[in-house]
Amino acid sequence: MKADVVVIGGGPNGLAAAALLAKGGLKPVVLERREVVGGAAVTEEFHPGFRASTVAHTAGPLRPSLVAALDLQRHGLEWTLPEPRVFAPHPDGRGLSLFGDPARSASELARFSAPDAARYPAFHASLGRLSAVLGRLLELTPPDVERPDLRDLFPLAGFGWALRRLGREDGQDLLRWGPMAVADYAQEWFETPLLAAVIAARGIQGMMAGPWSAGTTANLLLQAAAGEGNGAGSTVLVKGGLGALTSALASAARGFGAVVRTRASVERLLQRDGAVTGVVLAGGEEIEARAVAAAVDPQQALLRLLDPVALDPDDVQRVRNFRTAGMASKLNLALSGLPRLRAASDEASLRGRIHIGADIDTLERAFDDAKYGGISKRPYLDITIPTLSDPSLAPAGQHVMSVYVQYTPFKLKAGTWPERAGEVADAVLALLEEYAPGVRSLVVGQQVLTPWHLETTYGTSGGHPSHGEPSLDQLFLARPFLGFGRYRTPVRGLYLCSAGTHPGGGVTGGPGMNAAREILHDLS
Amino acid sequence: MIAPAVSYRMAARMAACYDAIVIGGGHNGLVSAAYLARAGKKVLVLERRHVLGGAAVTEEVFPGFRVSVCSYVVSLLRPEIIRELDLPRHGLEILPLDGTFTPMPNGDHLWRMSDHARTRREIYRHSPVDAEAYDEYARAMVEMARFVKPILSMVPPDPFSYDVKGLGRLAGLGQRFRKLTRGQQHSLLQLMTMSAADLLDQWFETDVLKATMSASGIIGTFLGVRSPGTAYVLLHHYMGEIDGAFRSWGFSRGGTGAISLAIAGAAREAGVEIRTEASVARIKTRGGRVAGVVLPDGDEIDAGLVLSSVDPRITFQKLCEPGALPASFLEGVSRYKFRGSSGKVNLALDGLPNFTCLPGQGAHLRGAMSISPSVEYMERAYDDAKYGDFSRRPYVDIVIPSLTDPSVAPPGKHVLSCFVQYAPYKLREGTWDEKREAFGDTVIDTLAEYAPNLKQIILHRQVLTPLDMEREWSLSEGNIFQGELSLEQLFFLRPVPGWARYRTPLAGLYMCGSATHPGGGIMGAPGRLAALEVLKDVGHGGAR
Repeated sequence: MKADVVVIGGGPNGLAAAALLAKGGLKPVVLERREVVGGAAVTEEFHPGFRASTVAHTAGPLRPSLVAALDLQRHGLEWTLPEPRVFAPHPDGRGLSLFGDPARSASELARFSAPDAARYPAFHASLGRLSAVLGRLLELTPPDVERPDLRDLFPLAGFGWALRRLGREDGQDLLRWGPMAVADYAQEWFETPLLAAVIAARGIQGMMAGPWSAGTTANLLLQAAAGEGNGAGSTVLVKGGLGALTSALASAARGFGAVVRTRASVERLLQRDGAVTGVVLAGGEEIEARAVAAAVDPQQALLRLLDPVALDPDDVQRVRNFRTAGMASKLNLALSGLPRLRAASDEASLRGRIHIGADIDTLERAFDDAKYGGISKRPYLDITIPTLSDPSLAPAGQHVMSVYVQYTPFKLKAGTWPERAGEVADAVLALLEEYAPGVRSLVVGQQVLTPWHLETTYGTSGGHPSHGEPSLDQLFLARPFLGFGRYRTPVRGLYLCSAGTHPGGGVTGGPGMNAAREILHDLS
Repeated sequence: MIAPAVSYRMAARMAACYDAIVIGGGHNGLVSAAYLARAGKKVLVLERRHVLGGAAVTEEVFPGFRVSVCSYVVSLLRPEIIRELDLPRHGLEILPLDGTFTPMPNGDHLWRMSDHARTRREIYRHSPVDAEAYDEYARAMVEMARFVKPILSMVPPDPFSYDVKGLGRLAGLGQRFRKLTRGQQHSLLQLMTMSAADLLDQWFETDVLKATMSASGIIGTFLGVRSPGTAYVLLHHYMGEIDGAFRSWGFSRGGTGAISLAIAGAAREAGVEIRTEASVARIKTRGGRVAGVVLPDGDEIDAGLVLSSVDPRITFQKLCEPGALPASFLEGVSRYKFRGSSGKVNLALDGLPNFTCLPGQGAHLRGAMSISPSVEYMERAYDDAKYGDFSRRPYVDIVIPSLTDPSVAPPGKHVLSCFVQYAPYKLREGTWDEKREAFGDTVIDTLAEYAPNLKQIILHRQVLTPLDMEREWSLSEGNIFQGELSLEQLFFLRPVPGWARYRTPLAGLYMCGSATHPGGGIMGAPGRLAALEVLKDVGHGGAR
């Protein structure tokens, strides 16, 4: 078999890249190791009759230009923006809801603190302005430091200009906030501990860092920029679960002529004369191609699939040092009924994300446990109940509760994950019981996915949700590391297009989209 | 002889014709004063305490024992200052501080010396791989230090101004970055953003080595060794060496106060007038610019220039008249983080500590001794502080200056100085006045685990908490660097974004202390850069 481009991995980035390459006139082949496409954006039956977005449970959101370019709605993509976006129950029985509409959030906040209510619109607006500028950054191919190319510099100059046009105050805030601990950022704005925790959680999500770790504000700002910079954060639920999103991407890719194969596990890359010329599948089948785009994480691509002899030994060392240790688990619960949260007066509050973590110290203590290789005794939880907006995911009257759990470090100090996965479920249910008494008795089935499962089943090194820590030293042109941040690698024909490249994780399709642009440029 | 009445009148008349008043007689204030005076300015330094030096001070805390009470070692005193102010002629003498000794709970130890071959053998004993990596690491650090060092002597550019020169400097930095090899760029980026422990994990496997090296990344900050942003300080250890002038760390003969006194000597020689026990109550303004200072007794001293070497909180919130500064600037000042995190325990000893893991009075006592047995130990010490307690088992950096400089203690007796982290300014429960001695006991107990004879040889003990440093040295929240050295408070963001160039919104008022770039430690760079900026604004020569 022959192709123009082989895309390894059928997750959102691989599919986005393939669809755009096909749209650009090339003939891509997507090879997905599992029996379903989707990677970590997948809908699976985890208990008879119960389906869930087993790994990621909210969409990035997908980059709007990607949705438009591929006309994904026509391919069946339907999403909802639930209101409230996020609901945070407090242990004292009160609940805080944040809505897309800042005025509504502010009036909700007035029950907690008048100054916070007064500041919220300014916070929302600040985040919106910064996101508008940072959003441009996400679409850029990071520039080449050594040999700047006019093709890159032009958009970069545009970004620089937008940054300056932000004005002195916003610009200075951006520079100051970028490297700051998100706890400081949140508390610079607000005094209500629960609100500060809800905001801080956005900075630590998907990071092996606590709210007091420097650089977590950058994570928040980048995630905000991927959405529209709403003060309440982004909550995008996909009808049918995230698998429907990747199915739509696959369908669009096929529509443009791409081949998407499942149960096609790539064993290694074909290398000839210092260039990558295709792939070898398990079972021996070879597919030749002009280029290979790896939507698997950079360590998989560069250490497992590539013969590392092709790389400079220093680069091999840098790939190894790319920090990929995961910290999050997923607990998917099949419930016989809707849990009753003490803090929620009606089920409408539960349609968005539910944040569990009463204050910044609670989040930090959860991180402390993980720092020393333990499972958080009282983890931070980000929960969705997708069946509230999409009842088709469970039998009538029953519900799915999808719980993102942080922290559960990839490297445990004692024991192994297969032995200890049950402890994650226990810790989560014990914590949930405090907020929703009786929830445990509703559980009819459960699935725990720890970082170990994410590595073994879903193929991400270290089980990292973003294929690599989004820390300051692993962002932009240094993602995964300097010299490899432009989707190209020193090995001719080999490209990276996973969340391990700029602009990183979240189900946005951003890396795939940027990489496709570079591949099209190189091949045409 | 001049009659006292005449001299009083003369002083009063002279008082009217100071060009500049420097608030605070610490090393930075004195450096500023010396540079201004050498440019022809008539300068007055006002120090609140009875002794000069600020936190770089030697005091006879116990009879016969002269103690570097706060700052205890000298690291990066800028060579250009030593040269330009001719400090050796004014008595500056830096003595070597040789090596770092880390006792371990298992009876082993790690002892790095300035003798390269012996250090290598020592590390080899712990891990052959690390011995190999150590040289490579040192080479990489020296290269990085070469890149970073000029930044210490640079006035931060303002990226949001249209000042062509400043932006040129910023572009120049970019150009220099581009000229580095990719490997160097990679290392530099990691150094600027990573945690010390994570960075060292990439190089070494020996826990105690990583713990001790990472300790330098947290000194004076409210961060742990695993907190991003702490790696950068690792570089400082490699900056002194490439100067070739002196070791990266050293003692000053006569204690750190002797450095301040040498600078004061140079300043006086240039014509600076220095008053101690001279508090400033208020900074005077007239017509929207600085007009001088008001003393607590109501006396006024006029000057068109005032340089404050005290921290921004005191300068702008306490000394400036309400309304003298724009609200947005004051908001920036109020956001500036101090968060003192360290304490000092100074001991007068009737002998020398005897470490169980390396008994006797060997050369290991002449260097720094570090209680940093593992990365986890360091990080747990930080965890306690995060929630408002002092560390149950703190990181302690110990020196015995009397071994190198016998002049500071009576014969046969010794001064032992402990820098202790963490001691958070804000305690969750109780006050520092209630907990001071308990804190001191914790430090002594920690040390005694490694050197059990210590408790028997203590003659006197002085415990300084962050609260004491705030009260006695006017360091807000007891931060030894006049403000947290975190990434968002460095370079063009220090202390307030847009105001990192030593100037303030009030014409004639300048900042010249550690709260400005490049920050704390006995560097003197803020004082020098501030004075040079003042001279750019007002020109050389005296007031007409």
